[in-house]
Amino acid sequence: MQKNTAAVPEESHFVLSSLAPGRAQKRLAAGVVLVLLVALYLITGPLSGVKLPAVNAFVAIYATAMFVTDSITAILLYAQFSILRSRAILVIASGYLFTALIVVPYVLSFPGVFAPNGVIGGLQTSAGLYVLWHCGFPIFVLAYALTKDEDPGKRVWQRDVSVATRWTVAATAVAAVAGASFCIVGERYLPPIMVNPMRFGPEWPYYVGAPVALLCTSAIVVLWLRRRSVLDLWLMVVMCLFLIEIPLSYYPMPSRFSTGWYAVRVVGFLSSSIVLIVLLYEITTLYGRLLGAVVGQRREREARLMTGDAVAASIAHELRQPLTAMVTTADAGLRFLDRSSPNMDKAKEAFKRIVGDGHRAGTLIGSIRAHFKSDVRERTAFSVNELVQETLDLTRDELQKNGILVQTQTDKDLPEVRGNRIQLQQVLLNLIMNAIDAMPMKDAAKVLSIKANLHEGGHVMISVADTGGGVNSKDAERLFNPLFTTKPDGMGMGLSICRAIVEAHEGQLWFAPNGARGAVFHFTLPADRADSVSPPDDASVDRSESRAG
Amino acid sequence: MTDQLATPVVAVVDDDHSILRSLEYLLESADYEVRLFTSAQALLDSGVLPQIDCLISDIDMPGIDGFELVRYVRAVRPELPTILITGYPDRLERLPPISETAPRFFTKPFPGQELLAAVSDALQPLRR
Repeated sequence: MQKNTAAVPEESHFVLSSLAPGRAQKRLAAGVVLVLLVALYLITGPLSGVKLPAVNAFVAIYATAMFVTDSITAILLYAQFSILRSRAILVIASGYLFTALIVVPYVLSFPGVFAPNGVIGGLQTSAGLYVLWHCGFPIFVLAYALTKDEDPGKRVWQRDVSVATRWTVAATAVAAVAGASFCIVGERYLPPIMVNPMRFGPEWPYYVGAPVALLCTSAIVVLWLRRRSVLDLWLMVVMCLFLIEIPLSYYPMPSRFSTGWYAVRVVGFLSSSIVLIVLLYEITTLYGRLLGAVVGQRREREARLMTGDAVAASIAHELRQPLTAMVTTADAGLRFLDRSSPNMDKAKEAFKRIVGDGHRAGTLIGSIRAHFKSDVRERTAFSVNELVQETLDLTRDELQKNGILVQTQTDKDLPEVRGNRIQLQQVLLNLIMNAIDAMPMKDAAKVLSIKANLHEGGHVMISVADTGGGVNSKDAERLFNPLFTTKPDGMGMGLSICRAIVEAHEGQLWFAPNGARGAVFHFTLPADRADSVSPPDDASVDRSESRAG
Repeated sequence: MTDQLATPVVAVVDDDHSILRSLEYLLESADYEVRLFTSAQALLDSGVLPQIDCLISDIDMPGIDGFELVRYVRAVRPELPTILITGYPDRLERLPPISETAPRFFTKPFPGQELLAAVSDALQPLRR
């Protein structure tokens, strides 16, 4: 089973039939079964004396509801099949289609709903259809359980999906129609389940109870042995509900429209909607998480573009300055030479300055190349203080707009660090943006403090602290999961990427509470070996740490 | 007001040293007396404002920017010719409508001869 789990393809992690159920889900499932067992006890025991009127419309409503929920469940499962292409999903989808189809002749043949003796068939028809329905579905569940762990290599080919779906739907329809036809046309061959339109015969337990119980129990056993996914768990619950229906139907009063009979319809409707509810819940949750991830990715990209734009603009400006100085000085130099008595000293001075400015421009171009080098593995030594200042410049507008006070505490003797400057700027940018988002508009005093100081083991530690709501312990575990976010408008990808980048630089990224309010994110980077120094004295490191804490 | 026969004094404000130096050379080559300031505040604090004949200032500077400086100078010396230079050409697309006393604009890098011509034009009423 372990092997199969490993072989589950990537996309299946987002599909109900492959997700492993959490502890809460398992508890809920056990709770549902337990509550129904209590209901079973109450209805067969203390409430058995309650008399209820025979409401024929109830049967019509019940059948309609069953038809709708089972059809929708079947459609959703067929949709999952088209993604997963697993035969097991196709089988269980067909099981739901089968029950949806069987409900139609069931309600038509039910005495008293549309005609006193039913529109179609005879006395035993509706009971026969009930057996077909309640034995048919467990057979589909069994088939699902037996095929679900098959080799993923045997999955249906992508291009065969629609053909397979069509064939299976057709085959299921044929089976349902054939079974229903037998119950209608061959009514006289059916066993005497009903004594009269209201009352079950003494042989009901043999013809209905025993086969249904046998099939459901086998399905539960096989599912239990091969249990793995959310779908497996809830199908087991459905099978338990099928089992509970048996004693409810027959004890203490073996007749239609008894308290137990009504309870069976309610349980039946519940069992039919359980998988639908779980499917819808999971689909909505997964959709929300995927949406968050997509928004997060887009923001990631925008942040990158923003950095790119800002860098390009500042480069254009930086280059323009020495160029302007060179052109202006050259103009001045020419004018000194053009005089009737050329001022050679001034001209010489001017040319020296032009050479100096030229070199300045050359250095700039060198640093631009380093900036835009696409190779992410390229690492350079750079000053953390400059990185902090530059990143704060990029976020200045955002910080001002949110009325956030910025405190920086940097050590000018800090050694340079070695790494990919662009990636590390992304990390810092991300942490600053997170801090801004963590401090809501209405808060009075909002302070973003950034510190850079020496850390143990020849590392430089950069800390970004905010005075926002902080991180609660429940979120803390999942904070670095790729799909986790607490923000209504996205991110999610940010922190996991940040951590990956920092770890790729042999550093660490973690967080702690920022005193009474807010959070502080720390990350360390190895100091450049060329000028790496050990911390001057432990006391100074401790002091700055306690201030950051 | 400066004496008509004395060398005209031009004040230059820019936060970039090499630009300041280059403008000093250029203006010296045209025999102006040059005063250099690395910020608008430094110019205002120096107290030379009443003695200068022309002001050349960068627009984008930390603290008081070029536009603000011009507004301040207008209040004290409305007749003082001003020339603004900028490294961001798109700055000029958002300028207020041109009036007679509006400053002249130059985008970096600018031709030295044209800047000198503009200074000379600005000083014309003074020389006459």
